[in-house]
Order: sequence, then C-alpha cells, then structure tokens
Amino acid sequence: MRVGGEDGFVLAFVVFMLFAISVAGITGYLVVSSEFELSKYSSQGAEALAVSRAGLERFVAEHIGTVPDTTVFALGNGVATVTTRRLFAQDSLTDVYYVRSDGAVDDIFTPGSPARRAVGGYAVHHRRPLAHHATVLIAADNIDVDNGGEVHGWDYNSASDCPGGNADDITGAIARVSVSEGSSNDIEGSPESEIWSGGWTEMTDSVGLRWDVLSDPDFPVDHVNSLPDFGAIPPDSFPVIRYTGWVYANFTGRGVLIVDGVFDPSPSFSWDGIVLAEDVDDIIQGYIDGILVAGFEGPNMYSTVDFRTDVNYHSCEVYGANESLSYLELLPNTVFEVN
Amino acid sequence: MVANRGFTLVETLIALVLSSFVIVLVSHAFLVQNRFYSTQTQRTAAQDNVRASTELIAREVRTAMEEGIVVAGARTLTVRSPIAVTVVCARSGSAKDVFLDGGEGALDTDEVGGVAHRDPATRDWIPVNTTWAAIDGSGNAAANCAANGADTVGGSGSFHRLAGLNPLFGPPPGEGDVVMLFRETTFKIQPSILDPSTLGIFRAAYGESLVEFATGVDTTAQFQYRTVGGGYADTVSAASLASVDAVRLVADARKPAPTGGVEDITFGWSVNVPLRLAR
Repeated sequence: MRVGGEDGFVLAFVVFMLFAISVAGITGYLVVSSEFELSKYSSQGAEALAVSRAGLERFVAEHIGTVPDTTVFALGNGVATVTTRRLFAQDSLTDVYYVRSDGAVDDIFTPGSPARRAVGGYAVHHRRPLAHHATVLIAADNIDVDNGGEVHGWDYNSASDCPGGNADDITGAIARVSVSEGSSNDIEGSPESEIWSGGWTEMTDSVGLRWDVLSDPDFPVDHVNSLPDFGAIPPDSFPVIRYTGWVYANFTGRGVLIVDGVFDPSPSFSWDGIVLAEDVDDIIQGYIDGILVAGFEGPNMYSTVDFRTDVNYHSCEVYGANESLSYLELLPNTVFEVN
Repeated sequence: MVANRGFTLVETLIALVLSSFVIVLVSHAFLVQNRFYSTQTQRTAAQDNVRASTELIAREVRTAMEEGIVVAGARTLTVRSPIAVTVVCARSGSAKDVFLDGGEGALDTDEVGGVAHRDPATRDWIPVNTTWAAIDGSGNAAANCAANGADTVGGSGSFHRLAGLNPLFGPPPGEGDVVMLFRETTFKIQPSILDPSTLGIFRAAYGESLVEFATGVDTTAQFQYRTVGGGYADTVSAASLASVDAVRLVADARKPAPTGGVEDITFGWSVNVPLRLAR
C-alpha cells in the first residue's frame, strides 16, 4: 500500500547495495586479515628477538659488581628478562657465566600471549679487574714523597682475616720519569718504585679497567657526586662513587672513588679502597688505605705530584673495592638464538 | 475512508524495467565480487605459501654461525646454524661435561648435524660433521661441573656429557672452552613432487632426505648472496663463502587462475636476510 509520496524502490535498492557492499567488505577483510596476521607475527617475532638481544648486550655492558641471578629491562615495546648462571671458575679472578635473555613483546592484538624469543651467550666475569701494580700509579713525570708523607707497597693487612688478605707486597710508586723520597723509609714496596717511561697509555693499557666506561656519565654507578651514609650500609659494602670536575675531597669513606676531573684531597680526606682519577692535584694530602691510580686520559695535568700523606697498600680494602668494579666481558662468537 | 486504486499499466512497466535493471546490476556485481573473491583467495594462498616458507628459511639463515654458509648455489643453499652453544665445565677422561640450556630434553637432537670447537686463541669456529648419537654420553656431568665452580642449583638437568669429541679435533676442547652443536640444513629449489607443473622448496637436515615444504613456486625462484664489499650473485665459490654477509631468497609464487580466469595468479616475493648472530 502506498501512502502519501512513499516510493518502495528506494528501500529495495538500499538493500541490494548493502548486500553488495557486504560481499566486497568480507572479501577485502579475508585478503587483508591474512596478510595482516602474517606480517604482524613476523614483525613481533623480529621485535622480540631484537629486545632479547638488546637485553643481553645491555646487561653485559652496564653490569658492575656481583652478578645478579635475574635482571629485567623494559626495552621499546617489550621486556627483556636476563638470567645468569655461573658455569666455570677459570681461576681465582675470572669465572665463566651463561647469560640468557628472554625478550617478550606484547600488544593490544595479542593480550596475554606476547611474542617471545630468547638469546643466550657466554661471558667472562672479571671478579677483581684492577691490577695491583703499585700503591700509587700516576702518569706524572715525577712523584715526590716527603714532608711527612709515606707510600708503602707492603700489605698493611698482614693477617688473613679477609678474602685476599696477607697479599704479596707490591711496588710502592710508579711514575713516568722519577720517583723520589724525603727520607729512606718514605717509600717502601717490592720494589720501592718503578719508572714507566711509556707514559699514560702504558699505564691505562695495563691497569685492567675501562676508564672510558667508568667515567661515562651514562654508566650506572652507586652514587654520583654524593656519598652514601656509610653508617647505614653493611660494613663489607664497597660502593662505587663517581665525582666530576675539580673535586676538593675533604670527606671520609670507603669503596671505589672515581674522579672524572681533578682529585684534590684535603688533609681531612680519608679513604679505604681504590681511588681512580683523571688527574690529581700537585699536592696530595689526607690518608688512603688502598691504591691510587691517576692520569687516565693523558699525562697528569701537574708534572710533579707531591705526596704529603700516607698511602698504604691494604689488600683487604683493595680486594673488597675491586670486587665492586667486577664486570662481564662477552665471549665473541658465542651469542646464539635459543631454540 | 480513502479510495484504493491499483497500479496503472505504465507504473507497472516502469517498475518492472527498473527492477530488472537493478537485478542485473546486482547480479553482475555479485559475479564480479565472487570472481574477485576467488582470485584473492588463490592469491592469499600463494602468498601464505611463499611467505611462510621463506620465514622458515630466513630464521635458519639469520642465525647462521660464522662462516656458516657451506654451499651457495642458485638453487641450493646449505647453512650451519647453532642449536646450542655450550661451555666445557669439566673433563672426565675424553668425555666433556658441558652446559646445555634446558638439558637434552630441550634439544632437537635429530637436527644435530655437527659440533664445532671455538679456538681459544683465534676465536674461530672449527666445525666437524657428526650426529647426536655419536657424541651423546652419560654420567653425572652436574657433579663434575659443580666441582669446578658451576652453579648447578635448580639446573642440574642442564648439564650433559658429550663423548667422542677428542678424535674430532686437533687439540681437543679443554675446560672453559666453548663448543657448539649445530644443525646443517640444505634447502633446494627443484620440481615439486606435489605439483609437478611448478617448483617446490625442499629442506633436509644433515644426513636426512629432502622434504618438500612449499610448492607453487615460479621458475624464477633462486638464492642470491651478497659478499662483503660486493653485490649480489646467484653463486659463490667455496673460496669466497666466508665473505657472504647476506642471503636473499627470490621466491615468486604462481597458481592457475580460478574458473573464468585467463592468466596465472602470481605473487612476487623475496626476502633478504643479513647474517648476524653467533658471529
């Protein structure tokens, strides 16, 4: 029945057109969805592999100190879970570890079932990387020990009351041209002193540490330009602390003190452990139980360094601090995709 | 009451003409859509076929070990890729106790085509073909490794004994040395068994027969190889295999057209795989 101006053909036409559009839509969906699924799973798998690989490399590159069992990184759209297992003690200073990184990438299309890929690799853990060449090793032309200062390479921890205690005596002081003392007992060691005319490169090559890494502002250390509350941390904890610029050191502490600049200790400075500095002031004061190494980026800014302080080799303090510097080195040709 | 009137003859004729026109139009659209649907279904199948197969090849090629391309021909590719990389954590006579992530259960032992020793001095891999049965040993590997400093807690099943390695290498692997179990896979492009009018892609593990896993491949299909400092070539001589740093698989798909079609359905496809892991 037609009423008023209604026209029934319009409805029929719309129905037919809807049908045609539906067929076209379904066809398009079938074609596109297959392609979409393939490319999605392919790209997510590749992304998960990249995440796992990045996790492994980041862990090895950034790790310092004791090797943790599990570390989790958020990387891009995914998460990398890095696990480690010690496999072999090569010697007292190096272990071999298996490092595995599981990468997972999730998105809104695959909730709860992320793409997963894993890579594994092997790394050597340098447990105490700093070589004990000398109590004081500075790439300066001259080291003078006088005015009440003493530099001793004898182990001041004569008892085996700590790991690494009662170690062999080491050289007292090493410089590029000369090492002199005010009186005959100011410098002790085995031998008392050495001259490394090869300069700072010989020193940095032999010291066993990557200064470019340790001084990199992006490299994570325990504290930057500040000291921890030493009373609140365990007595056997040796934190890694990095200062930058000209550092007038008038504090007391322990651990590894990294000075990316000029280390200028005051008479009240006291440190147990290791001090690493790009440069040192021409007058060293205070007190160090451990090892001082300086001149990492070139000959020391002062050609003569005058020691008016006591720097005594203390194997226990060096041992503890050195463990805080331990790092992993990936064995080349060992990274593989875990099936 | 409104008076009811029937359709006039003119109205009826106009309605019939218009209805016929619409029905013809829609029918034609339906047929076109149906043919389009069939064509696209065929095209999708062809795409799925070559994409899935090239993904499988790409995964194995991508993980090739250093100097892992063994044969590089236009239609034959043999590649070695790591199944597991291990460290010798203890020795017991000529047997080597190693760490295998997940243990033997996680290992596809049928795929093992050889073992390689990483030269501690040069860091180069020294590969030797063998089978899992020839090197599978037995013994308490975890206890021996633990004695050498290995952390076996919660993972004793991941330590395994490998036997018979000494005769395979000049200086045999020592403690702390890295050893790799690898697969050696051959891919071939040759006439399909399932559809003889096209080519197929075949795969064979070391010592095994070829198995067809993709069909409907066009005659243009081939492998190409990029060498360091050079371009792509479809064949690389044995002397230059070490310089291969990328493999490209060109695998166009071809299928007969659906009913009513004249030309075959083709799908051009290639995948480029840089060699990047275990190097």
